[in-house]
Amino acid sequence: MMSDLVPKPKPRPAPESLPYWQAAREHRLALPKCEDCQKFWFPPSRTCPHCLSTKFSFENVSGKGKIFSFVTFHRVYRPAFANDVPYVVALIELDEGPRLLSNIMGVTHDQVKCEMRVEVVFDDYDEDISIPKFKLV
Amino acid sequence: MINAITPSRELRDTCAIVGTATSKLGKVPGVSSLDLLMDAIRNALDDAGLKASDIDGVLCRGPDESYSHHQLLAERLGINARFSTTLTNGGASQIMSVALAVMAIRFGLANTIVCGFGRDTWSRTHASEEARVRNETRPESMLAREFGPEYGYFGATAAHAFGATRHMHLYGTTRDDFGEIAVAFREHALRNPDASMKKPLSIEDYHAGRLIVAPFGIYDCSLRSDAAGAVIVTSAARAKDLKKPPVMIKGFGFQNNTRGWFADDNMVVTAAKQAGEAAYAMAGLGPKDVDTAQIYDCFTYMVLTQLEDYGFCKKGEGGAFVSSGALRLGGALPCNTSGGQLSEAHCEGMLQIVEGVRQLRHLYPENRQVKDADIALISGHGGNQVCHSTLILGRA
Repeated sequence: MMSDLVPKPKPRPAPESLPYWQAAREHRLALPKCEDCQKFWFPPSRTCPHCLSTKFSFENVSGKGKIFSFVTFHRVYRPAFANDVPYVVALIELDEGPRLLSNIMGVTHDQVKCEMRVEVVFDDYDEDISIPKFKLV
Repeated sequence: MINAITPSRELRDTCAIVGTATSKLGKVPGVSSLDLLMDAIRNALDDAGLKASDIDGVLCRGPDESYSHHQLLAERLGINARFSTTLTNGGASQIMSVALAVMAIRFGLANTIVCGFGRDTWSRTHASEEARVRNETRPESMLAREFGPEYGYFGATAAHAFGATRHMHLYGTTRDDFGEIAVAFREHALRNPDASMKKPLSIEDYHAGRLIVAPFGIYDCSLRSDAAGAVIVTSAARAKDLKKPPVMIKGFGFQNNTRGWFADDNMVVTAAKQAGEAAYAMAGLGPKDVDTAQIYDCFTYMVLTQLEDYGFCKKGEGGAFVSSGALRLGGALPCNTSGGQLSEAHCEGMLQIVEGVRQLRHLYPENRQVKDADIALISGHGGNQVCHSTLILGRA
């Protein structure tokens, strides 16, 4: 099929997010955590947005959270997603606080609801990149 | 915590909008955004009975790729301007430019300032097959690097749809409520000969429309338009003996929820809340004083949540409020009476200002006029969904 020939966009890690993607490749979800205030944040940056400390490291999170909100794409914005519509993009609120966008695997769009519990799974894009996605628990 | 600051009440009623106009709206092939804006400005000068040489200030929002857009505009106007700059606050820029004009005039930096915005979005993205293809096949290098495109997340429709889903979840808001907004504004557009959309829209048509990014279908989304609008601001003293009745600038306020659209409760309690509170405080008015609202309607849901945030109904009751018919001409709060960005044309909030001014002049035919309109509230929204501006205008 046409869309099988068009690859989906491959993440292009920024310098500050490289450790996130390195962890994902090892199927770990790791976010920057402040060594001063002990809070996580996302997306990765070199300054803690909670206290402006620059002392941090990437630490594993539980990978568990809930669906804060979601949308269902019916329109094909790029040919690579032509075979996927209708597909869900969800805003996941991790138990550690940060929110991030992802897909919900293994369900149809009409089964998804706000507040559903989810946990991370990893979708291997190629030998360099694995993409964190989520499934219902 | 920093306390909310009320813009100085001393600025209330110091300046007026004395001229306003638009370009041709909708599909205007072969005309650049700058020339569309020039059309609107020429028409606004004529509306005010002023000449280009009367203008000594230019405040506009340019397309993002244009450097010193205000200079290009003033060059076309054939003037040197004392106070001139380009604003970049997305759809909140247009009201911000009017507020900045008031401050500049009050403090003697300029006498008469033109504020405007023009765009050629339809021509750039839809006018030809080539434009369509160019728009739909942007190279991957132009996408966000990460945390979105890999999940198939693209565009402003999806961003706002996240808010709609959350609001529906928290408050039981339905697509029927969103549909009433689309239907009401279309009904207003049918009374406006300049509006892009000419066909009636029923709630059945709304539900039959194809889904784009659910919960939004095609009729929840604003138009892609070629459009420009302009207003001319001067001091209340100078405004008295011009061609048309002046419309007083009574209040304005701003809020930027720059922690992000996905942070906190920003998707369901928008920056309209604090921007509105500041504007009401400056004007010495409240939601009960507002006769007509011209709300930034990039998507139906954004109207509903802003009406709540502005205090026209309680948070969570927006669905019932709009479905009561309140937004229709003749209703409790006639809203987007020219058809709005959903059915007139999308000019990133500029046409909401134009329509607010026109309603307060009482020069419309009876079927378009909000009866006895004395106070209009206008909103601007944009800048990654979190930048907001509020303008309150009053009949002189």
